[in-house]
Amino acid sequence: MERVLLKNIENPNSADINEYLKIGGYKSLSKAFALQPKDIIEEIKKSGLRGRGGAGFPTGMKWSFADADPRSPKYLICNADEGEPGTFKDRILLERNPHLLIEGIVISGYALGAQEGFIYLRGEYPHAKDVLSRAIKQAYKNNYLGDNILGKGVRFHITVYQGAGAYICGEETALIESLEGKRGQPRSKPPFPVNVGAWGMPTIVNNVETLSNVPYIIDVGGEVYSRIGSKDCPGPKLYCVSGCVERPGVYELPMGTSLREIIYKHAGGIKGGRGLKAVFPGGISTPVLPGDKIDCPMDFVSMPKFDSMLGSGAVIVMDESVCMVKVALRSLRFFEHESCGKCVPCREGVEWLRKIVERIEYGKGREGDIELLSQVAETISGRTFCPLGDGAACMVLAMIKHFRYEFEEHIKNR
Amino acid sequence: MITITINGKDIILDEPMTILKAADVAGIKIPTLCHHELLEPYGGCRLCVVEVERMPKLQNACTLMAADGMVIRTESEVISKVRQDMLELLLINHPLDCPYCDKAGECELQDLVSKYGPTVGRYREEKRKVPESHEDRVFVRNMERCILCTRCVRMCSDVQGAGAISVVGRGGRSRIEPFSPTSFNCEYCGNCLTVCPVGAILSRPHLHSLRAWQIDREVETICPYCGVGCSFVVQVRDESIKRVIPRFGLGLNNGLLCSRGRFGYEFRECAERLTKPLIRIAPKNSQKSEVRSQKSNPPIPPLLKGGEGGLSEIFREASWTEALDIIAEKLKDIRDKYGGDAVAGIASPRCTNEDNYVFQKFMRIVCQTNNIDSISRLGFAPAERYFEDLLGQGITANTITGLKNSDAILILGGDPIAINPILGLSIRAGARSGAKVAVIGNTKGLAQMIQDKTLQIIPPLFKEAEVLESLLLEIFKVKGLRGERPAMDRMVGKLLEKPLKTEAQGLDELKDVLLKAGSISIIVGMDIVQRVNGHRALFAIAALTYLLEARLYLLSEKPNEQGLIDMGCLPDVLPGGRPLGIGDFRRRFENAWKGIIPEKDGLTLMEIIEMARNKKIKALYIMGENPLFNLPKGSYIKDALRSLDFLVVQDIFLTETAELADVVLPAMSWAEKDGTYTNLERRIQLLRKAVNRASGMEDWRIISEISGRMGYRMDYRSAQDIMEEIARLSPLYRDLSYDEIEKGDCLWPYKGEPLRGVISEIPFVVEGVHEYKGELYLAPEKVLFHSGTISRRSSALRKICPEPILKIGVHHAERLGLKEGDYVSVSTTEGSINVLVSIEETIKDNKVLLSNNFEGRGVLSLLNYSIDPITKAPAIEGMEVTIKRLKLQ
Repeated sequence: MERVLLKNIENPNSADINEYLKIGGYKSLSKAFALQPKDIIEEIKKSGLRGRGGAGFPTGMKWSFADADPRSPKYLICNADEGEPGTFKDRILLERNPHLLIEGIVISGYALGAQEGFIYLRGEYPHAKDVLSRAIKQAYKNNYLGDNILGKGVRFHITVYQGAGAYICGEETALIESLEGKRGQPRSKPPFPVNVGAWGMPTIVNNVETLSNVPYIIDVGGEVYSRIGSKDCPGPKLYCVSGCVERPGVYELPMGTSLREIIYKHAGGIKGGRGLKAVFPGGISTPVLPGDKIDCPMDFVSMPKFDSMLGSGAVIVMDESVCMVKVALRSLRFFEHESCGKCVPCREGVEWLRKIVERIEYGKGREGDIELLSQVAETISGRTFCPLGDGAACMVLAMIKHFRYEFEEHIKNR
Repeated sequence: MITITINGKDIILDEPMTILKAADVAGIKIPTLCHHELLEPYGGCRLCVVEVERMPKLQNACTLMAADGMVIRTESEVISKVRQDMLELLLINHPLDCPYCDKAGECELQDLVSKYGPTVGRYREEKRKVPESHEDRVFVRNMERCILCTRCVRMCSDVQGAGAISVVGRGGRSRIEPFSPTSFNCEYCGNCLTVCPVGAILSRPHLHSLRAWQIDREVETICPYCGVGCSFVVQVRDESIKRVIPRFGLGLNNGLLCSRGRFGYEFRECAERLTKPLIRIAPKNSQKSEVRSQKSNPPIPPLLKGGEGGLSEIFREASWTEALDIIAEKLKDIRDKYGGDAVAGIASPRCTNEDNYVFQKFMRIVCQTNNIDSISRLGFAPAERYFEDLLGQGITANTITGLKNSDAILILGGDPIAINPILGLSIRAGARSGAKVAVIGNTKGLAQMIQDKTLQIIPPLFKEAEVLESLLLEIFKVKGLRGERPAMDRMVGKLLEKPLKTEAQGLDELKDVLLKAGSISIIVGMDIVQRVNGHRALFAIAALTYLLEARLYLLSEKPNEQGLIDMGCLPDVLPGGRPLGIGDFRRRFENAWKGIIPEKDGLTLMEIIEMARNKKIKALYIMGENPLFNLPKGSYIKDALRSLDFLVVQDIFLTETAELADVVLPAMSWAEKDGTYTNLERRIQLLRKAVNRASGMEDWRIISEISGRMGYRMDYRSAQDIMEEIARLSPLYRDLSYDEIEKGDCLWPYKGEPLRGVISEIPFVVEGVHEYKGELYLAPEKVLFHSGTISRRSSALRKICPEPILKIGVHHAERLGLKEGDYVSVSTTEGSINVLVSIEETIKDNKVLLSNNFEGRGVLSLLNYSIDPITKAPAIEGMEVTIKRLKLQ
């Protein structure tokens, strides 16, 4: 597959606007301005593009909701909070291909009738902030941003807004709260941000990777795009592989590539030739898969059929030397640390889960702990205000489902 | 029209609402914890989850709007399990302090767990420990009990608008903390305390005093502090008020209170309450009269104990009979010898309508004098008269809850948040929903509500009238005359031929805001009246009200200034606002009262003081007022009171004024008697007796007793009898009864006939233009935590604000080398006192502010005055002041 998102990535100056222009950058922008906004939304719909942040919501549908809302100003927010552990796909786009993102944002803004865009960048990416700031400056200079882009009377401005280290701010409503200067806590949905978003106005929140797909869709058209990857879930996808593999890194492959292929063909298989024990297919919020269940197409529609989720596409590979109880503990510590504290089940329940698993890991497990873990996880799951608590609960339940014997070992043999 | 099905029942909703509200409409109860009717829904406790057909997950009833066709179940096995689980999760870290926690018995968590919760918990880990972080004087905080429902935070930021507390930290480490580094340093309204469902925030005055079920009785009554007249519930045990709690749905304040109403009830039980009548034994001019001295921290005067020095050398205790006989005889004597004009009376805006009605009846019929006035002369009474003469009776009768619906709110002459806090909250609510707030002068409480900073206009020193006339001129240029009241149009036109003009930043913006706004409210504090040009400022305000069709509000520090006016405690007005000068009105009352009312108008307050000084007034009866402390130029007031032949003071404490009296009578105070108050909206409300007091008598009863001894029987058995008479006679309170008043909607004009008078022509007295070129001027400040002199006897309020504080702006503080917390001497030509200083960044002109609440250290004692010829109010402007830092002892 010819690279779309990571085109020119080997070029050390790929972030510079001149290098981007050399490979045909910003051509889609001109093309987009010749179209009507409604037509662009149609193309996105036709393309079948789904949000790359983890939820996989059809982007065209989201945009048409915003389009239907007559109020203005509308805002476009690029969610660059990339907080799911194991995920670094957006980072590479931000640090090495910022102009692709900028172009995508401006086209999207034009299609949505928004004149102001924000890039909500996680606080832990200072280098990306520098690169983005430089790239945005260059874009303004070359009239790809500003009050009269390309002299076509189109207005769009981008502000980079940095977060301060909160995973919860990757959730779109918590992100908007943070952007408004308030405590980063999710809001009730409905109303959805697409109608009542930033400062009460219609707001579209899209992931970095999602928006980076937009120039290509304009370039080749939605129909052509839809032929890449799976039928129900098309397009190129960045899979970031980490853990016990020979070649960890970001791989651009067609949506629906099998997990086995990603691990063994592209990432070089298990480091040191050991056996594969478990894989998180899309970050720790997705249910863990045992080593023998990796023949699944990695896309949004197929993965649920295989008892997991695509999530962010962050493949974390664990070999037979990894202790799953430890993994569960580290994951729970993460969720506990990141819980915003708004709702009772997540705030109290996740800490409880962590405490139990911690005891088990340090040899203080008790009989009945595993049942208790399941019960508490069931209490949390589906009852929380936002999916963070669900992520923690599902993680625990999947661990127990596939690696119960490890937990039992820890308890019995301390 | 939205039709939904809840638990099999079809409900039709006539407006959009959440499922929770819809269930309530259907009579179905859904448990909640983080939800509160005054607050926006939160959705954090997860207790209100319900099943909605075709929605995959359980949904929050408190946030989900009911949609047409929804089928909802609020009870099922799954839902019960969820409620049980959520409560179990809350209890894993919540300490089971019930036997020790004050909240037991009124704790929402307790109630929910007993109804929906598990009987056994499965948690076997360590409970979270939360270090106690703040020692506060009024609030007791126990963060281990906090369940992070955030009701307190949402109340403080969304309703109170003070934003003093917030959630810090994240997840399980979240805590609710105040922004200040030491104690709360907030407005101490206690509304967070009201909404806390558990024992995480408790009241220190009430701590460990009694259990919720040990109350003898609960009585709904009205607050004794300010002109808003909030309703609350007083909880009594052993004839002592243990606690004041608000109630949602009760009164115009709907469950919100301020620090005074919430925590200020202890004054009533203060040990210094007068219990027996006192008769003077020491001569008035003797040295021994000086009980109080200018110490830097004067204590509340010692109890009158037999034989112990001080007060027992000035007064002796007497029986009621003896005291009342002496008073009756003396008043009769002076009246017969010198005529009624030698007698005068000062009524009280803290006393009820019934008290004040009987007082003026006694003065008129029995003492044969119209020399009746009150402290309301300092602002409220003349301001209201002025506005009513120009714009008609009832022009200031506007509702506080309606205030927040204004498009623009203009405030001048005082800080609403400090004087009438609940009215201030209505302004904050208005600001949040888009009203433009503008202030002429200083404001602290509303500083954050003025979104556009240019809308705080700082007039040149004491020149509010100039600013107002400049504004009026600009408005007039655009709007022209209104045409509805020809006399008003004529006067406006005449004024604007030669207006006082001045430059002030922000006037242009203010003019634009006012011209663009649909509905405008103008809020007037009494500082405006206390100016040499006071009446001109009032005229300009009246003209602006007229041209802009605005609603007018008068701030009032006392609970019953309006009632006092309605009852006719004025030298030229009878009950119902009927002018004394009109024979028909006078005769009507003479017939009803079966006596003669003197024809001539009487003297106003400052004139009474002056005439006392000149020995033209020989007898003065003061009911519930402390003029020596509450009027400017204390030395002069003292001279005047000392010059009287006979001074009677009827009060609840031995005040500074009472110490100069010939006879002191102990009265019953708030909560010890029934009666009515009329608030600044002109709403009549009922105060109920809550405790039985062994000593003292109702003010009206004392007067009746004296009246009887002077040959005019007043046979009132109860306050209700008096109201019946008022309702028969006052054209404004026609047919009112306690039953009516209890229903809660007795707004002006009640059932009566408003006075439809002809607008009087009010002359303009063109005063010389005063220029204030001095460095620093002293001005009074009404503070939030104190009111008059009763609040100083409330230990909780004293804890919040233990002493008077001089407020000085940043620039002058720097110039004088002052730091926060320094002690300074404040000196004027009238005297000097020592106080603590505080740097107030919201003061933007050459003024320093001091309150008038603390004994021996009130600002009025340092101020001089002149009389405004039209309003007869004392003008207290232009007093230069010297501030010197004192070395610490």
